[in-house]
Amino acid sequence: MANEVKLPRLGQGMESGTIIKWLKAEGDQVEKGEPLYELDTDKVTQEVEAEASGVLLKITVAEGEADVGTTIAVIGEQGEDVSAIEGDVAQPVAEVAEEEGSPGAQREPERERGREATASEQITEIREPAQGNGAGARIKASPLARRIARERGIELGSLKGTGPEGRVVAEDVERAADGAPAQPSAPAPAPPGEVERVPLTSVRRTIARRLTEAWQAPAFQIAMSADMTRAQELHDRLAERVKEGEAKPTVTDILTKACAAALMRHRAVNALWAEDAIELHPNANVGIAVAIESGLVVPVIHQAERLAIAELAAARADIVTRARDNKLRQEDLDGGTFTISNLGMFGVEQFVAVLNPPQAAILAVGAIEAKAVPTETGFESRPLMTLTLTCDHRSLDGATAADFLRTVKAFLEEPGLML
Amino acid sequence: MSMPELSYREAVRDALSQAMRQDEDVFIMGEDIAEMGGSMGVTQGMLDEFGPERVRNTPISEMAIVGSGIGAAMQGMRPVVEVMYEDFLTISMEQIVNQAAKHRYMSGGQLKVPLTIRTQGGAGWSPGAQHAQQVEAWFVGVPGLKVVFASTPGDVRGLLWSAIYDDNPVVFFEHRTLYGLKEEVAEEIEPIPIGQARVHRQGEDVTVVATGRLVHESLAAAEEAEQQGVSVEVVDPRTLQPLDEEAIVASVKKTNRCVVAHEAVTRMGFGAEVAAVVQHQAFDWLDAPVERVGAKFTPLPFAPVMEEYVIPHAKDVLAAIQKTVQRDGAS
Amino acid sequence: MAKVEQRRGVSDETLREFFREMLLIRRFEEKVEERFRAGELPGFLHVAIGQEAVAVGVCRALADGDVIASTHRAHGHTLAKGTHPNELMAELYGKVEGCSHGYGGSMHLYDVERGNLGANAVVGGGLPAIVGAALAFKFRGEPRVAVAFFGDGATNIGTFHESLNLAQLWQVPAVFVCEDNHWAESTPESQHSPIRDLTKRAEAFGMKSMKVDGQDVEEVNKVAARALKHARDGKGPIFLLCETERLVGHYIGDPQVYRDKDELHRLEETADPLELLREKLGLSDTEYETLDREVQELVDASVEFAKNGTDPNPEDALKNVYA
Repeated sequence: MANEVKLPRLGQGMESGTIIKWLKAEGDQVEKGEPLYELDTDKVTQEVEAEASGVLLKITVAEGEADVGTTIAVIGEQGEDVSAIEGDVAQPVAEVAEEEGSPGAQREPERERGREATASEQITEIREPAQGNGAGARIKASPLARRIARERGIELGSLKGTGPEGRVVAEDVERAADGAPAQPSAPAPAPPGEVERVPLTSVRRTIARRLTEAWQAPAFQIAMSADMTRAQELHDRLAERVKEGEAKPTVTDILTKACAAALMRHRAVNALWAEDAIELHPNANVGIAVAIESGLVVPVIHQAERLAIAELAAARADIVTRARDNKLRQEDLDGGTFTISNLGMFGVEQFVAVLNPPQAAILAVGAIEAKAVPTETGFESRPLMTLTLTCDHRSLDGATAADFLRTVKAFLEEPGLML
Repeated sequence: MSMPELSYREAVRDALSQAMRQDEDVFIMGEDIAEMGGSMGVTQGMLDEFGPERVRNTPISEMAIVGSGIGAAMQGMRPVVEVMYEDFLTISMEQIVNQAAKHRYMSGGQLKVPLTIRTQGGAGWSPGAQHAQQVEAWFVGVPGLKVVFASTPGDVRGLLWSAIYDDNPVVFFEHRTLYGLKEEVAEEIEPIPIGQARVHRQGEDVTVVATGRLVHESLAAAEEAEQQGVSVEVVDPRTLQPLDEEAIVASVKKTNRCVVAHEAVTRMGFGAEVAAVVQHQAFDWLDAPVERVGAKFTPLPFAPVMEEYVIPHAKDVLAAIQKTVQRDGAS
Repeated sequence: MAKVEQRRGVSDETLREFFREMLLIRRFEEKVEERFRAGELPGFLHVAIGQEAVAVGVCRALADGDVIASTHRAHGHTLAKGTHPNELMAELYGKVEGCSHGYGGSMHLYDVERGNLGANAVVGGGLPAIVGAALAFKFRGEPRVAVAFFGDGATNIGTFHESLNLAQLWQVPAVFVCEDNHWAESTPESQHSPIRDLTKRAEAFGMKSMKVDGQDVEEVNKVAARALKHARDGKGPIFLLCETERLVGHYIGDPQVYRDKDELHRLEETADPLELLREKLGLSDTEYETLDREVQELVDASVEFAKNGTDPNPEDALKNVYA
């Protein structure tokens, strides 16, 4: 009696397989256990053995995909009539399960539900756009030391660690915070003469990628200096009025307000490059570059043009704290239309920031320094701050950029103009 | 008011006896617990008071001892079965892990298994590799089980009471070398909640989380450390599952340094779980890596000189404490 | 507590009820096979086709308050002990309405209210607890019996020996029902047991045994009644050996390559407990068809019930770990 060779279910969940090639030809004698054909499943290509001995009378599925249970060949006795046996007829119900138990093919949607339910508990990756330099080589410091350093604004790299293997411990940071000025010390503990190879973290990788992206844009820079006398006066007055528990407004907050107001007057600068168009945005979503442990992050103050200085200060304090505590959410990083980067507190006089794509412009701000300024009567000392605007030439031209920067400068020099 | 002094052994007996006096549903069974009073003398005198039905000697059948305890517990009794050495829990593992721990869950809440499994272990007297293991960590990772390990007479009495009256299967570890330890205890049994840690000694510089015999070793090490100017806090979790994470983390947040100490082998010992919890919940408070103290990674050797080398002592805890505060550079 | 009546013989009416029960189990198991092949039932499934008479014969001899523990092949015992097919099917589908509320599945069927202390996926896993339950009954002086079901394969595992030893030693009211279907998964009895007569195993512990043709539900019922009375009267536990046949593979879809197909066909012809009872009762075709229809409706309805049942919330997985 002819023996139908059916495509077997070789594993859980296997619904079909692909016959690669037959190892025996029609008319060949076949022994039970002899390799009969090669089968490719999702997981593996393997030889399948004959389950019966006899003559391979007919191959009904020569090559290609077949469902589990389909008759693919017939083995029988020489001369038997097997014309009635067709191939390519998939059995509606799987013949035999080769294994005990099954996940239950119909139950996959529920399994998906179960998986989704636990996936929602996971944190999504935080995008960290590039800006400026990052930290140098990895510094050995205890988590506690790092936290204290972060909170007190102390650069870890400037400390000498007294813990094992030169690790910076809390005491080292506290000592530095208590008064000793930051030592202009040699960088921490790579043994002399050896190159220390610092593997990339995912944050650095992201920064590198975005920086490279930004480099593709044709950028130009324009620079101006602003006399910060009136801005500082405003700052001092605001600082006096701050109540207990409120965020103290900084010069950066005034700068943010000035930029937001200027962006509303020069809508072309509040723009994003969109490959086939330039998007002009209705609100000034100003990103503030914040240096954190692992590099740089740019949280956004949304609709900054609508916020009063006090509100800006509160928003800025919140995102900076959360940035440093690594508690930023995706919405904090999305939607920026303009970025401000301030290296003034590091003593930088002037610098050129790298674009934050796809934004049209980014403003780099240096330290406020007393400079001699000519007046009618001679020279006077004025607190000047450099403003360097880097622009994407695809979105902006020089004249537009200059107009914008002039407005920012004007607002800083006379805040009343923002009213 | 008189405060009787009880040994750890007597404290266990006291909890068992008082429970059996007031509650017909409580009975004990195990090997040699009747006339002999138990291989460790814990149940001495109980046969006379309660009779052979309720103080049952069993054959050497750890599967059936634990399993029949499960069956009686499912019918609403509160059996306390004894597995003579915790090494032999291995024989009854299937019943503990596949049956006792899971009946409630698999039945969708229809059943409770209020079974208490008492056992003991402890090295330091050349018992050899098969009679001295500390296996508590194996059970901590089995959902459905509770795991208790008390280190003082008062604690063991109060916790055994709570274990008997807990509606879940409890694996209750006693430590052999502590059986003779004496302490003044209250007249009345004070039940101690399962899942509550105890701070034995307050300190500012380092938290030592210790169990069993190592609680006492750690207290000795703390004394020594004090002389060296290091103030050590010693915390005994007492219950390993559920773990009083709050107490442990609060202590580490205070001291910024942590040592975990147990007699069991360090690798995959309970200290690994505590270290993971601490580094996760107190990451930004740690000024040094968490140090683990435990037995070296060998089966227990027989010869005294080798045995003492393998198991941890106060000086190992002290060394760990010192590691957490040590400095290389001058301050 | 209800007194158990001594049965001299089983009436025809009762036998008809037995037949209906067995047919229900048979059709239920066939439906389970069908639904498994359609991919609707996840996990393990071991059906009891061929062993219905043992389940019904024993369970129908139990009194209120008696308890059972079963094996991985538990659907028959569970139905015979009184769980409604709806709740059983719903459990196989993993629904909240299932007897274990979706937490257990085919090998962890519990119906504690009806005295079903659980099916068990571990061979011999449930035996020690039955000893413990019987011990509790004895402690409290309750006229209740604890019954363990297990197969010939289980007579080789440690828990079997420890349990029988302890039960006999302590003379607890337990009955150990061995469903000897001569196969431990794919291993024939000749390859797993050095002795043929498994009652010798009970004898080794000094335990009284009874032996019965497991395909004759009337005999099973009568002998089980005697065994239960023995235990209930405080005379000690009984080992009840039921010689039966597994007319299917170990699991659904098991091609039974290890089994002589001719022999299997022969058994299907001669040892089907349903056919044997049908003949004994002399059921007419009409009577049979009526019963079959009734039973099939119940089974079909159970699938509907199950499919329309409630899926547990994913977070329900976190409940019921501790009391």
